[in-house]
Parts: sequence; C-alpha cells; structure tokens
Amino acid sequence: MRRGCRATPPGADLIAAEIVAASTSSNLANRLESILGSGRVRAPSFTEARAADTIVEPASVDEICELVRMCEADRIALAPIGAARSIAGIRRSPVALGISMSRLARIVAHEPHDMTVVAESGITVGALNNAMAPARQRLPVDPCNPAMTTLGSLICAAHAGPLRLSEGTSRDLLIGVRFVGHGGKLVRGGGRVVKNVAGYDLMKLMGGSFGTLGIVIEATFKVRPIPPEYCLAIVPFALAADAFAAAYILNDALPLSNLEILSPALATRINFTGPFPFLLLAGFSGSPLEIGYQAERVRDLLIAQGEILDGGAALEKYELLRDIDFHSYPLSAQIAVPPAHLAGVLQSCGAEFRAHAGSGVAQIFSADEQSAEGATRIVARWREAAHSARGNLRLLAAAPAIRDSLEFFDTPNDGALKLMRRLKTAFDPAGIFNPACFVGGI
Amino acid sequence: MSTIDRTLIDELGGILGDGGIVSRATELKVYECDGWTVEKSVPDVLLMPRSTSQLSAVLAALHRRGIAFVPRGAGTGLSGGCLPLNAPAMICTSKMNRIVEIDLDNRRVVAESGVVNLHVTNAVKSKGFFYAPDPSSQVACTIGGNIAENSGGPHTLKYGVTTNHVLALELVLPDGEVVELGDHTEERCGYDLTGAVVGAEGTTGIVARATLKLMREPENHRTLLAAFPDADTATRAVSMIIGSGIVPAALEMMDQLIIRAVEEAFKVGLPLDAGAVLIIELEGLEAGLTTCADEVAQIVSAAGASSVRLARDEAERALLWKARKRAFGAVGRLAPNYATQDGVVPRTCLPQILRVIADVSRRCDLRIGNVFHAGDGNLHPIVLYDERDPNQVRRAIEAGREILKACIEMGGSLTGEHGIGVEKIGEMALMFSPDDLRVMTELRHVFDPFERSNPGKVIPQPGACVEVAAPRRQVPI
Repeated sequence: MRRGCRATPPGADLIAAEIVAASTSSNLANRLESILGSGRVRAPSFTEARAADTIVEPASVDEICELVRMCEADRIALAPIGAARSIAGIRRSPVALGISMSRLARIVAHEPHDMTVVAESGITVGALNNAMAPARQRLPVDPCNPAMTTLGSLICAAHAGPLRLSEGTSRDLLIGVRFVGHGGKLVRGGGRVVKNVAGYDLMKLMGGSFGTLGIVIEATFKVRPIPPEYCLAIVPFALAADAFAAAYILNDALPLSNLEILSPALATRINFTGPFPFLLLAGFSGSPLEIGYQAERVRDLLIAQGEILDGGAALEKYELLRDIDFHSYPLSAQIAVPPAHLAGVLQSCGAEFRAHAGSGVAQIFSADEQSAEGATRIVARWREAAHSARGNLRLLAAAPAIRDSLEFFDTPNDGALKLMRRLKTAFDPAGIFNPACFVGGI
Repeated sequence: MSTIDRTLIDELGGILGDGGIVSRATELKVYECDGWTVEKSVPDVLLMPRSTSQLSAVLAALHRRGIAFVPRGAGTGLSGGCLPLNAPAMICTSKMNRIVEIDLDNRRVVAESGVVNLHVTNAVKSKGFFYAPDPSSQVACTIGGNIAENSGGPHTLKYGVTTNHVLALELVLPDGEVVELGDHTEERCGYDLTGAVVGAEGTTGIVARATLKLMREPENHRTLLAAFPDADTATRAVSMIIGSGIVPAALEMMDQLIIRAVEEAFKVGLPLDAGAVLIIELEGLEAGLTTCADEVAQIVSAAGASSVRLARDEAERALLWKARKRAFGAVGRLAPNYATQDGVVPRTCLPQILRVIADVSRRCDLRIGNVFHAGDGNLHPIVLYDERDPNQVRRAIEAGREILKACIEMGGSLTGEHGIGVEKIGEMALMFSPDDLRVMTELRHVFDPFERSNPGKVIPQPGACVEVAAPRRQVPI
C-alpha cells in the first residue's frame, strides 16, 4: 500500500498540483490526472487525512471504473468517502486514495406517486430531503447531521437515528443499488420498484460494509410521507431504570416515532436543565386527532412531571437529539442488544449514553482522555456487557493515541467469519477496497 | 453426476430414522412440482430431517458423494423454486416445525424452518402481537420457504417483506457445516449475510431456524371496499391515494373476472357489476382512523368509484380478506388450469400494464384475471388455460413472458414475491447485465462453491434439464 503525507492542515486550500506533488508519487499523480483531468486530484482535509493520503473527485461512473482498474493493477488501496468521518473513524492508517463522491450527487428520479427516489451516492441526506420536501416526502433515516451525511455513508456505515423505531433503517428502505466492483465493473442489484425479489439482495451486502466490497454509485430508496405534525414529550427521571420502565410502557402503548433516553451529560447537551438527570424523549406524529390522542395517553402514562413540545420547538429539540455527534468524543461506541436488556447492559457499561430504547440500540461514550490501557479496559467492559445480553458492539470513534490498541468491530463467530472472508475475496480479489479495517481484519 | 445408491440410502436412513426418508417412486410423484405446475421433475429420494443435527448430517453425507439437493418447505411456491434440477435428493423441512423460543419482551420468536407462517402469529396473537409477512398461502407455507423466496403478502405495503423481519439465521451450508448468521439485535457484526441468504431461493444452503421480529397489533382497522367501473379507473385511484400521503396497510385490487369467481365461491357481497374493486385497509390509532377512512372514501369517489363500503365489523373484514387471500382457489372454477404471474411495475404504471395484459389476453386468446397488491405495484395476472391442449399451454407460457417483458420495460421487476425459480430464469437477462449475474454467481459460490444447493435456480446457466409437461395440479391457495 502506498503511503504519503497524513497530516494536511485543516482547511488547506492549496493548488492541487502542489498537493499532489507532496502527497503522492509523481507517477501516480500523473496517472490520476490522465484519468480525471487536472484540478480533481487534491490533498485531504484534516478529517479526510485520517482516511486517505490523496483525494480524487471523479465526476462520472466511467472515471470511477477506470480508477478501480488502475488501483487493482497497481495494488493501490482506496476507499469511497463522503465527509470521510465514517472511514476515518475506523481506519488505523489512511488508504492511498480516497474516492470523493462529491461530484456524483444528483437526484436521478423522484417519483412522489411511487414513493421512490433514485439518487447518486454523493448527495447528502439533508439535500435529498430538502429536494423532496415540496412533495411532502422524505427519506426517513436520520443520521447525525444529515447535511453532512452522504447516501454512500448512510448505507455503507449503517448510520441511523431516532426515527429507526418507526421507520427502520437504510437496510429497510434501500431497494436498489449500483456499485463499482472488482474489475471496474458496474454492478446493479435490486431495482426501482418497492417490491422486488429478482436476483440476490446485493443491497444488503453493501449495507454496513464500509466500502470494503465496492463503491456505491447510486441508490434507490423507498420514501415516506412527512407526517402532518410532530410532538416530543420530554420527561426527566432521577433513575435510569425508571426512565427505561416508562419507555417500555410507552412503546407498548403507542406507535411512537422515536423513543430515546439520555444520560445526564447528554441531557445537558440538548440544553435541558431540569430537576432530574435522566431524560426520556418520546416523539409521536400524525394528524391533529392522532396527536391529541397520543399526547393525552403520554400524560396519563407518565403523570405530570414532563412537558410536551409541539411545532418548531419539538423539531428543534428533536434535531438536537439527532445531531449528538458521537464521533467527537475520545472514545465512543454503538451497542445493540435485545431491547428489554438495554437498561441493564447500559448500567453495566457505566458510560454516558443515548439509548434508542425501543430498538435496543445505544451510543455510549467516555468523555475523558484515556491511556491505551484504560481505553482497552473500558472497551472490554462495554463488550462484555453487550455480549452477556446476546448483543454486539462496534466502536464509533477513538482518539489517535488509543486507537491502535482497540478492536473497532466484534469478531463474528468462526463460521460467519469464514463466509465473510470468502465474500471479501470474491468481491475484492485484489484487496484494494478499504482493506484491513473491517471485522476480522477484512 | 453422482447418483443415490443403496449404500447411501442406508446411511441416510440411519441418520433420519423411521419416517425420515421416502424413496418409492409412487410416493415421490407427489413432490414432482410446487405451485408452478408447468414443469415437473421427480427427485430420487425425499429426506425429512427432524433437527439441525440430522439436517447437517444429511448434507454432509450428500456432500461426501458430490450429490446435489433441493430444499422444500410446504411446496406452495409459485415459481418452481423447489423443482429438482440435476438434484437427486429433495430435503423437506416440514418435520422441523417447532417454535423454539417466544420472547415477547423483545418481540422475537425463534422458529424452525418448517414452522407454518400462520402458526407464528397464532402463537402470539393472544398477547397482541403478530408476524407481519402474510402471503396468501400463509395457512400452509413455511418460514423456511418464506425466507428462501423473501415472501410478501397484502400487508407488506406497510410492513415490508420477509427480509425486514428476519434478524438471524441458523444456516446449514451445503457441506453440512452449521453457521450462525446475525443475532437477536437490530445491528449486525460484519457483513449482512442474513440479508444475503433471505431471498436466495435455497441456493446458499438450508435454513434450519430463524429469529423473527414480531409486531404489535395496531389499535384498530378500517377496511373499505371500493367498486369501480373498470380496472383503469381503479388503478388511477391507487396513485391518488398514495399521492395524498396516506399509506394504507394494504391496498389490493381484483378485476371483474376475479370478482365473479370469488363471489361465486365465497358470497362476500362483492358488486358483480363492477369492473374492478379495491380493498383498502387502514390501521393505526382509533383516534385518526375515521377521518382517514373518510378521506380515502372521498379520494376514491373523486377518482371515479361507483360505490365505497366500509366493513361493518371484524366478521365482515375477515370475510373480505378470506375472499382476497383465497381468490386463487376460486379461480379454479373458471378453467381447468391457471398460471399465476408475479411482475412488478412502478405504481404509476399500473394503468398501462393492465392495458398490456388485456392486449396479451386478446392476442394469446386466453382469459387473464387480475388480483394483486396494487399498493406495491405487484401484479398477479392469472392466465387461464386447459392443459389438455398443448397449444394453450404454449400460449399460456408465452402470455406470461410477454407480461413480464412489459414490466421490465416499464422499469419494474420480474418478481415481487414469488421468486425466479425456474419459471423466470430465462428472463433474468432482461433485467440484469452479464456483470450483475457474474457478481451474483460469485456471491452464491461464497456459500455453495460447487452449486449443489438447489442447482439451476435464480441465475441462468446452460444444461438445466427440465421435463416440460402438461400441468396436472392446481396452484394451492
């Protein structure tokens, strides 16, 4: 694998040619420019530098196919990047080439009456949803900071947010995909219709694969109507256990949009100052009649200790909840367990958390700077808690000083890992797609 | 290709015990086809394991001799997915029919692959839960078969198809190795191999058991029956409902031919003079349902409905659904034989595709009925024919192919929920490029490098040997 400079200052806006000279061999730079033309080969930004040494910005599928063929021939490691946060989050060292998808960001087709949208993978969730808003539709997957999260990242890093409770995740909504695989071949799975079982489900393989099987170019999603109204109940609790007990009662009683519990540090982060440190946030949506009924039920079930926000106030608080950036902490992870075990598992972890209480998924973090040994101990404790409940854990972020000592992913069981290795070999025989950073060193 | 000899039969008999193996030709005849009756092939032996360990031992024994096999659930598939093609052994999962674990706190069920779909819901409905995928054959079809075909059903408009409800699998690979894929959570560790196996039509090994998600029963329903002068008007109403921002739980259409067959069979009170009807089911909070149902009634009336009727009670609702789900059975009254297609078009193309179907019907001189998941754009044209007339059989196959070709040209799919099987394997190249199919083959080889698990399915390949015979059985309901 080629390695160049890793630490370009943030916001560097240098002349492309100079950067290329600093970060790659002139031979590679020349070949990249021969494929892309000048001005589309550059040094990485600060975040990108942890993902890749050199960034290229292809503007067509053909260019990406050509780049893949070149990299396979010369065994140059590459990774697709959007804002580069996901790839940077899991790599111990950068790949040689980051394929920025920023110039492949078109909406190919939005069919409101079919409730589907086809878009290139470089568009952000925020931009896509802005474009569909006049038709009162949205892609109801809500990662942290949708304006920064590309569709490619949404799919490949399996980002999701509070709406996963009611709308599912990109896994549930992705109905078609086009990606560039080995040999620089463009491959299609699924289609543009909402129900389709023709051929193998290649969409599932791309989901959560972190770019290790190919480069997603285009995605087709089912979309949903934007609910007429949204309300958010916010209820403080003295004890996490009581907050979870209330959450489970609510989830059983109502078709909630989202259901989160925040630990004290995160309650503060969304600007809540109340009498008790743990915060339950239950979102519900629908027509005015449905909203009125649900609000009444929430009040009945949770006595009168909280408040119910509506309109802009509800959306503002929901966005704060959605946009908690777990990549910004020195050590953070996502834990998934059967939902009823989540409260106990989080107690065992002893970390601050945002819990998606109805889904059994939580993001946890340690805000303190840790030594490598300390971080290893913390992650071991988190993992043990997750595994004890038949769950799993993956790290979301780790500071540079500690990341080399940590395993980002759980290791699958032997049988599954053997199949995953075979899959990687079959889909990436040259080993160039974001290598050596996924499960089991894949 | 290796064959099954006496020594192997004895070995398999030793693994499976009494009642676990069938090798008499007369008994095997029953297993010559599934609901796709146009093509037939009898297995040399039928194996019925009762447990994962028996299943594993059987596959290992076959693997040692290089013998291919075909998995089978209840045989209700509609695309020939469990037709033996160069696969001497058929492995039926119907004796692996235990619900292993019910975990209502976490809304999970662990079921063996031979458990009947409806039995899962029956096991939890008293507690207010259900298993969402509801294919019309749900009284008979198995969870393993549903996983193989990624089955849907009327209510998948709201809830999605099987893949959206499977969290984990215990899979027996073609060499007998047992692997655990996924876990009881909503996030995955590594590649989503569970998602790759669902819908793979049994070409990645045999699923022994599955962890399924359960859903909470909605607070209430409203079920409307809207009658239209013709199918074209009815399908335009579908787009208007979806475009209004209302997503029903189910949105089903029946045309005049089907209405008459169903009414004769079930006496539901369907309007016999209607050109088409829509069954529209809304569900959710009682607080919003009446308003929503009124809104839908206004939309369909504005779209040209001649009447709109709200099911008065649960009994009437159940009757409507019985009529819909057993419509295929009722069609048996109309012709000696029929073949059900499964194409998909974008919802907005429903009027065009129905015109194509009418045209194909005229040109092939065969009656074609339509009963389908209109909300998903998932068609089920039913081509009526008489097997005693070889010319009609040929025209029936031709009609199906023409309809599927038109679906693809409109940006749709060959199959929404029945699978490719053998029925549509010849059309795969219409939808996928050689590179797409190559990559799918590479995926298949990850699980089954020697192509011994259900060979000749999903991906077209030369050399498949099928007896194309006059059909004999009706499609099961």
